[in-house]
Amino acid sequence: MTDTRIQHLARTLVNYSIRVRKNDRIAIMGSVDAEPLIREVGREILRAGGHPMPVVQLSDWNYLFMSEANEEQLSFVNPFFKMVNEEFEGLIMIRSDLNTREMTNIDPKRHGIQAKAFAPIMETYMKRSASGDFRWVITAFPTHALAQDAHMSLEEFEDFVYKATFADTDDAVAAWRKIHDEQQVLVDWLAGKKEIHAIGPNVDLKVSVEGRRFKNSDGDRNMPSGEIFTSPIEDSAEGWYWGSYPAIHRGQEVLGVKLTFKAGKVVEAKAERNEVYLKEMIGLDEGSCRLGEFAIGTNTGIATFSRNILFDEKMGGTMHIALGSGFPELGGTNKSGVHWDIITDMREGGQIYVDGDLFYDSGTFKI
Amino acid sequence: MADSRIANLAKILVHYSTKIEPGDQVAVTGHAIAEPLLLEIYREILRAGGHPNMLTRMSGTDYIFYSEANEEQLKYVSPMQKMAIEEFDALIQLYSGTNTKSLTNVDPVKQQISAQAQGELFQKYMERTASGELDWVIAMYPTPAYAQDAEMSLQELEDYVYSTTYADTDDPVARWNEIHDEQQRLVDWLEGKKQVVVKGPSVDLALSIEGRPFINSDGRNNMPSGEIFTSPVENSINGWIKFTYPAILRGREVSGIEIHLKDGRVEKATAAKNEDFLIAMLDTDEGARGVGEFAIGTNKRINRFIKNILFDEKIGGTIHMAFGAGFPECNSKNVSAIHWDMICEMRDGGKIFVDDELFYDSGEFVVDR
Repeated sequence: MTDTRIQHLARTLVNYSIRVRKNDRIAIMGSVDAEPLIREVGREILRAGGHPMPVVQLSDWNYLFMSEANEEQLSFVNPFFKMVNEEFEGLIMIRSDLNTREMTNIDPKRHGIQAKAFAPIMETYMKRSASGDFRWVITAFPTHALAQDAHMSLEEFEDFVYKATFADTDDAVAAWRKIHDEQQVLVDWLAGKKEIHAIGPNVDLKVSVEGRRFKNSDGDRNMPSGEIFTSPIEDSAEGWYWGSYPAIHRGQEVLGVKLTFKAGKVVEAKAERNEVYLKEMIGLDEGSCRLGEFAIGTNTGIATFSRNILFDEKMGGTMHIALGSGFPELGGTNKSGVHWDIITDMREGGQIYVDGDLFYDSGTFKI
Repeated sequence: MADSRIANLAKILVHYSTKIEPGDQVAVTGHAIAEPLLLEIYREILRAGGHPNMLTRMSGTDYIFYSEANEEQLKYVSPMQKMAIEEFDALIQLYSGTNTKSLTNVDPVKQQISAQAQGELFQKYMERTASGELDWVIAMYPTPAYAQDAEMSLQELEDYVYSTTYADTDDPVARWNEIHDEQQRLVDWLEGKKQVVVKGPSVDLALSIEGRPFINSDGRNNMPSGEIFTSPVENSINGWIKFTYPAILRGREVSGIEIHLKDGRVEKATAAKNEDFLIAMLDTDEGARGVGEFAIGTNKRINRFIKNILFDEKIGGTIHMAFGAGFPECNSKNVSAIHWDMICEMRDGGKIFVDDELFYDSGEFVVDR
C-alpha cells in the first residue's frame, strides 16, 4: 500500500491547489523517481472528472539534452509542451531530482539559448495563469538528492516534506484553508499601506509598497507554501540587508550576503564566500540590482533550511527579498533575467513596521 | 551488454588489486544500486577460480539501524562480517551510497558505541591485512549522490571514475603495473633518506623520515590510487602549511585551514570556515594534534577536487598530511581515533628537498631515478 501521506499530498494538489474540474486536461510532469506521487495524482484527477496526462522523464534526461543538443535543437520548442501551456487547463509540476548538481558544468549560454526560444510560450503561460485559464502548482517528491542537500536521510526528508505540506494530517485541505484565511487577514490589512520598515539584527531596510498588492501564497501555486509577498516600488529601497542563510542561485551557493540599497539600487554587495558570483548576478542586467520581491515566510511546519527554495522561502520566522524580476500581477515593473530569493532570520528580534505601526515582531504577526 | 568500462574496473579489482587465486574466499560489499559492477566482479572472481560472497546492502539501512537500534543491538557484531574478516582471503568494498548526508542527524554517541564494539574485529582486520593474509581494496561505483557532491552530472562522474582508474583504456592492468614500477623507483630512492623540506607559496615545513619507509600506493588497496606516503618521525615536524582545498571529515567541511607545527605538534590552527569543528577534532585525543601521514599524490588523471578523499588525496601535483593515527607499517607511533587528510596544492611552485637534494618541483619528480 502507498504511504497515505502521498495520497494526502495528491488530494491537496488536485482538489485544493489547482481545483481540478470535470473535463479539465491536466499535465503531470515529473521524473520516473516520482512514480508513486504521479500515480496518486493521476488517480485523484480521474476521481475529479479530469483528464490526467503524465509527462514522465528519465532521471538524467535534462543533462543528456543540454550536453548533446546543437543550437537548433536547443531552440526547438517541444510541441507537446506548447500544447500544455497554450491549451490545457492545468499543470502539476513535481520536482524529484536524482542529482541537484547535474547541470553545474553546462555552459550557461546554452540555458540562455533555450530560454530565448521558450520566451513566447512563457508569455502565453503568464497571461493564461494570470487570467485563471491555466492553473499550475509546483511541488516536490522526496528523493535521495533532495535529502542529501537538506543534510537528512531520506526518511527524515520524507517527514519534512509531508509535515510542511500538512500531508501528515487527516485533513490537509482544511489545514490549507485555515492558512488561507489567516493570511487573508494580513493581506487585507496591508491593502492601501505605504511604507514598510524591516529592522533587526539582520536588517534595516525601508521600502515603499504604495499601490502594490500583497499576494496570499496559500498553497495554490507552490505546495508547500505559506508566505505573503509583494513587489516593492522599484526605486524605494533604502538601507541594508544581511542574508543569514546561504543564498543559492542556479546551484551556486553564496554565504553571508550583505546588500546596501540606495534609491532602490544595490550600491554595495559583499559576501563571505562566492562574492564574485553575487556581483556578477547583480551586474547582469538593468533590473538585477533592484528588488522584485519583499516577502514574509509563515509556514511554521518548515523549521530547518533544506537548500531548496520551494521550502526555504516559506520558513516561519523568516523574511526574504528577491533581486531581479518582479510580479506584474502585484504591480511590479522590474524586469530581469534573474529572480534570486535571499532569506534572513527574523526570530531574534527582527521587527517590521508598516506606516509606523508594529506589524511583525520576532516571527509573530502583531495586528 | 554492460558498459565495457565497468567490466574493466571489475577486472582491475579482481586480477590486479586483490589478485584472486583459485580457492580464494572473497567478500564483496556494495549497495544494490551498484548491481552492474557487482555482477562483473562476481563474474571475474569465478573466472579467477575464487568463491564470491556478495554482501549486498540496501540504501537506508544504516540510517534505520542508528535510529532504531538499542544499546545491545548497537554493540552487535555481524557474524558474516566477522567471518569475512577473520577467515576470508580478500575483501572488495564499494563506495556506492545513494545519499552521502543520510547520517548527518544521527547521534554521534551511537556511532561511537557501534565503532567501539567493532574495535576487536578492526584490530584483527589490521593484523590480517598487514600480514598479507587478507587482501583488500576500496573502489567507487558512480552514483548520483557522489555526482552531486562532485558538482557533476552522473555521466560526467562516470567518465571521471573510469578515467582515473584507467578502466577506460584497453589494458588497465598493464597501466597500473607501469604506475607501480614508476612509483617503486621513487620509494627505493627515498629508502634510507632522513630529512624532508617542503617549500612553496602555501607551505614551509621540515620533517624527518629517518627509519620511516615510504609505501607505494599503486592501486592494490585503493582504486584509483597514485600516491606515495609515509608516517614522519613524530616529534620532527616544524613549520607551517596552508591547506588549499577544503578538508572534509564526517561530512563536515572546513576551508582555508592554516596549521603551524612545532616539534611535531599542532601549535596553532585557524580556518576561514568551520574553525570550531577543526579545533574540536584536533582536540579529540592526544594523538590528534600529531601527524600520522605525509604523502605525495601522483595521479595526473585526478585533476579536480570532488569532495571524496578516495580520489582527492591522489590529485597529481598535490601533497597531503593527515592529523591523527599513523601507519604501523611505516613504524608510526602516533595513535588517535581520527585520521584526517588535508590537501595542499604544489603545482604553483611548491618544492620538496630530500637530504638537501631537489626531489620534486611544481608537481613533477625531478630526482634522477
